[in-house]
Amino acid sequence: MRQLLAVELTRLRWRRAVLLLLAAAVVVPTLIAATLIWDTRPPSQDDLDAARASAAPEIAQCEKRPGRFGVEDRALCEEQVVGWYTNSQPLKLGQQRSETGLAVVAVLTLLVMLAGTTFAGHDWNSGSMSNQLLFESRRGRVWAAKALVVLVTSFVVSAVMSATYWLALWMVARSRDLKVPDGVLADCLEFALRGSVFGAAAALGAFAMTMLFRSTVATVGVLFGVVLAGSLIFAALGISERWFPHKNVSAIIKDGTRYYVEVPQHCFTDGPIEGSECDQLRELTLVDGSLYYGVLLLGVGTASVLTFRRRDVP
Amino acid sequence: MSDLVIETTGLRKEFRSRRGGLRVAVNDLDLAVPRGGVHGFLGPNGSGKTTTIRMLLGLARASKGSMELFGHPVPSALPQVIDRIGAVVESPKFSPNFSGHQNLTLLARSIGVPKARVDAAVETVGLTGRDRDRFKSYSLGMKQRLAIAATLLKDPELLILDEPTNGLDPAGIREIRDTIRDLGERGVTVLLSSHILAEVQQVCTSATIIGNGRMLASGPVDELLQGGPASMRVDVPDPTAAHRVLDGAGFVVTTPADGASLLVESDDPSRVTQVLGEAGIWLSALTPVRRDLESVFLELTEADTLGHTLGHEATGATR
Ligand SMILES: Nc1ncnc2c1ncn2[C@@H]1O[C@H](COP(=O)(O)OP(=O)(O)O)[C@@H](O)[C@H]1O
Ligand SMILES: [Mg+2]
Repeated sequence: MRQLLAVELTRLRWRRAVLLLLAAAVVVPTLIAATLIWDTRPPSQDDLDAARASAAPEIAQCEKRPGRFGVEDRALCEEQVVGWYTNSQPLKLGQQRSETGLAVVAVLTLLVMLAGTTFAGHDWNSGSMSNQLLFESRRGRVWAAKALVVLVTSFVVSAVMSATYWLALWMVARSRDLKVPDGVLADCLEFALRGSVFGAAAALGAFAMTMLFRSTVATVGVLFGVVLAGSLIFAALGISERWFPHKNVSAIIKDGTRYYVEVPQHCFTDGPIEGSECDQLRELTLVDGSLYYGVLLLGVGTASVLTFRRRDVP
Repeated sequence: MSDLVIETTGLRKEFRSRRGGLRVAVNDLDLAVPRGGVHGFLGPNGSGKTTTIRMLLGLARASKGSMELFGHPVPSALPQVIDRIGAVVESPKFSPNFSGHQNLTLLARSIGVPKARVDAAVETVGLTGRDRDRFKSYSLGMKQRLAIAATLLKDPELLILDEPTNGLDPAGIREIRDTIRDLGERGVTVLLSSHILAEVQQVCTSATIIGNGRMLASGPVDELLQGGPASMRVDVPDPTAAHRVLDGAGFVVTTPADGASLLVESDDPSRVTQVLGEAGIWLSALTPVRRDLESVFLELTEADTLGHTLGHEATGATR
């Protein structure tokens, strides 16, 4: 098995399409980070002076009623209002999680999924799968070796890139003397870890689908269909948001999310009571989301292994 | 343990066509290949050769019947014997963007064969110098040679070659034929599938002939060549007249495609000369026709095709 793993890893390293995708997994997050760091650069002293001058009346108002200006403490008023006037937002790690952080996870997931599917698709496309099986006829092992290589590579690439992303932002924030609350970096790194596990699992799923359909094009088509039309069809069928693909992704990556449900008619007269069947907003936890995709992955994986072991190989 | 390297019993393969019909590609085939020598596996296009080979190698699942390689049941025991078998099935298929060398390296590593063997195999098939080029830039002949190099990585006891000369020029065919003969002499058992008989006859010691997925004949080449009517080729100035005369005397006469001479079924040249001489027809030449594998093959497969119910797609020309 170790020989097979080494072989598949080499095959992956030699595949140019895969390397390009992995290179993109390095370049795109780097670009996102660079853009963000540039956009949040501190304003120059001149900018600040000018802004402070023109913002003076509003700062005064803010100091009277800080709540209306979105700050808790009047001490933060100047920074907030001047920020609007200089059109510059300081880098806030915690806030970035639900903004660029999600984008980074999405990009990394997409790229490792494509890498997983082209990696397997090429073997079918070129017909070289049959040649491989003439050397190792235990098909279960062949599947497992390829799957493991896809899973581990995807995880390592996603984890390294997303962790680097947050560490870089953190270092930039520190170098700008911005206060980063305790625990925010740890939260961001956990976010990165959840995203990477999800990405690696998605890459494995794409690989398994490709081994099942024996074609990259078919796999990409089905995945696109699910992403584009999945939620629409679910909504049209009146299926609860609980089962929407993207809701469950959020639940995993954000460690829980909320969704709306239709409540019975009587709730509108009785008035909603939190936690009852009349509560329109429900929790979707990390465990819920993981189970949702876990079951899906298990189903696709099992179908993929079984058919690969049984079906004739062209 | 029997001394058969390949043995199949009642082997059958059905394909379900898109319209729901069944196509029987291999039908109750009992194939027996003895150890040593080159064994021809002959049949017209579509007669089930590739399908049989793919089942033996575990690439396709048999619908019925049993198979053994080196006395081990396959596909269940295939992992134990696959290291002793080299095979090229249909056209060589490798990763097009990898070089020949890279392709071989991956295969070699998957069975723990040292890297030096790759270079040796490349050298044996004469690809040295081109092995670092991409597979997709290879000519058909080079691809075939790379496929043979891949089989040599294992130092096989059994070599299964499925139409290895397909699409090659005469020089390439000759090269491959020499390689096969070489391997056979070194004690490797070779199963050589082909629909081109002239090629096979020169290297094979024994052969199996199939048509429409069925076994038509099998045995040592010498035995296959025996039997059947003897015949001779008769050259005369006026074939039409001679045809009439010989017909009248009760001979079975056919006119070959070139039309310049006659084929007469008989093992008695003096009688043929006498009949024609009495009719005032003088022979310019009389040549006994040696039965070759091709005529055996044509007789067998033609009879099979004619006697077969329609509905099979597996008819196909022999050349
Ligand atoms: N994958 C397949 N699906 C359906 N029919 C097939 C398939 N492979 C082969 N056949 C059919 O099986 C028969 C035997 O084919 P094959 O074994 O390739 O013949 P040969 O190698 O002797 O030319 C042919 O009629 C062919 O069309
Ligand atoms: Mg064939």
